[in-house]
Amino acid sequence: MKLARRFLPALLGVAALAAIPLVVKNSFFLHVCILVLMWTVLGAAWNVLGGFAGQVSFGHAALFAVGAYTTIILYLKGGLAPWWGIPLGGLAAAVVSLPIGFLCFRLRGPYFSLSTLAVAEIVKLVALNWESVTAGSVGYLITSLPPLSILGASVNWEGKVPFYVAAAILTVIALAATGWLRSSRIGAYLVAIRENEDAAEAVGIDTVRTKALTFALSAFLAGMGGGFYAFYFRYVDPDAVAGIGLSMEMVFIAVVGGLGTVGGPLVGAVFLTAVAELVRERFQAGHLIFYGLFMMLVIRYMPEGIWGRVRKIIDGKKGGS
Amino acid sequence: MALLEVEKLTRNFGGVCAVSNLSFSVTEGEILGLIGPNGAGKTTVFNLVTGFVRPTSGAIRLDGRSVVGLRPHAVARRGIARTFQIVKPFPGLSVRENVTLAAFLRHPARPEAEAAAEKVLERVGLSPRVNELASQLTLMDQKRLEMAKALATEPRLVLLDEPMGGLNATEVDVASALVQRIRESGVTVVLVEHVMKAIMRISDRVVVINQGEKIAEGPPAKVVEEPEVLAAYFGKKRVA
Repeated sequence: MKLARRFLPALLGVAALAAIPLVVKNSFFLHVCILVLMWTVLGAAWNVLGGFAGQVSFGHAALFAVGAYTTIILYLKGGLAPWWGIPLGGLAAAVVSLPIGFLCFRLRGPYFSLSTLAVAEIVKLVALNWESVTAGSVGYLITSLPPLSILGASVNWEGKVPFYVAAAILTVIALAATGWLRSSRIGAYLVAIRENEDAAEAVGIDTVRTKALTFALSAFLAGMGGGFYAFYFRYVDPDAVAGIGLSMEMVFIAVVGGLGTVGGPLVGAVFLTAVAELVRERFQAGHLIFYGLFMMLVIRYMPEGIWGRVRKIIDGKKGGS
Repeated sequence: MALLEVEKLTRNFGGVCAVSNLSFSVTEGEILGLIGPNGAGKTTVFNLVTGFVRPTSGAIRLDGRSVVGLRPHAVARRGIARTFQIVKPFPGLSVRENVTLAAFLRHPARPEAEAAAEKVLERVGLSPRVNELASQLTLMDQKRLEMAKALATEPRLVLLDEPMGGLNATEVDVASALVQRIRESGVTVVLVEHVMKAIMRISDRVVVINQGEKIAEGPPAKVVEEPEVLAAYFGKKRVA
């Protein structure tokens, strides 16, 4: 019973994810759904480190870029299909996160945040200038995806559904990983680190190792998000995958959805993508003003995020605990 | 053999010598008071022993094994726990969760950790408060929580940094009794404290430091009569 209640929301979520492409035939709407799911993965990636462990990174675009470049280079130069390239992109980002963590975790609070910002700029400059590997500002373009058949039916890469399925799988992985993390001992350690790092060390928590492991998990998810981006948009250049805007967007999604919650990034991605698309349609010029206004309102009146507020209300009705 | 041995411990901060050539040892089962005027270097000694600050030179051994160079979490694993003078709870978490986090060190599975935390909370008298947020506790209860977190790591030696600072007279008595009970449970105690009445009553031995150096050591009643101790606290003129 207890188990059923714990997994019921997850099962309902997976069922809803599976139902969307069966119901929705409008390809623009499906495109929006794919964006929402991609941003969910990225928001969840950021939330693992920023929401649970309280380590606010402004440089997650660096990890996104590593994933995107790994996936597209493996495909274009090595002929490795993106569905292998995406997890490898995640792995590459996790490996890259280790030296970044080694350097940046020496700093705390705002100094940590600024150092991650600097790392992202370095990665962008490397991507721009290391032309033999990254093709510099020209970037890489995928002209055709490899043929794939599932259960005898060949996949049509011109439609949106295959990409939707890939994004949905990544979303389930990202949310399952954060759900597991929240209920694990490591998750409790992360909260301790967020609350007071010295006190965490004093009671025997290896804060450096815990942060490094979490950063690697966060990087793995962000890298897979980047790999998916390369796969879906079929184009990678430094501005598209390593810009500071990307890093900020991940922060916003996690904050608007709810820091340190499992469902928060999904809720944040739904709201922010929906608001962005709506205002873009109504006000062509200056639509970002409304986007910013929406964010300010959420942060002012719901600092725990939309999902964080909903959870608070639900938990309150259950009578504490 | 001594449980904790500190030998020729020195720590400089820039040109300032916070701890200088300090040696003392702690015997298993005792309560050792570490006293001295403000700025004498008492908290620095705690920071050095627990790995929060690295010594410039000198040795620190627990049970004959050096703990110099270990990070704080590794020192805690070896069996030295500490409390902080300015309490450092996990403010947004419940009292129970605060102590459970410390109990994880010896009990990796949550149910066992929670059971162990429950026992420690009972020992320090925090059982009625388990569901409250740590930030909502009174100072007395925050001091209790600080001790509970240290004890939940199941240490052999606990370093208490001013567990009575800021408490009123009744509360000081409660805290003194608590410290004595910790010792009775088999944990050795080193205590930094400014509340002289309490430290004189509960310490078996005191070490007096001034400006980073040891100036006296012995049973509390004897030490307070030493001229150098009086000079450190009240100034040379008045003593002479």
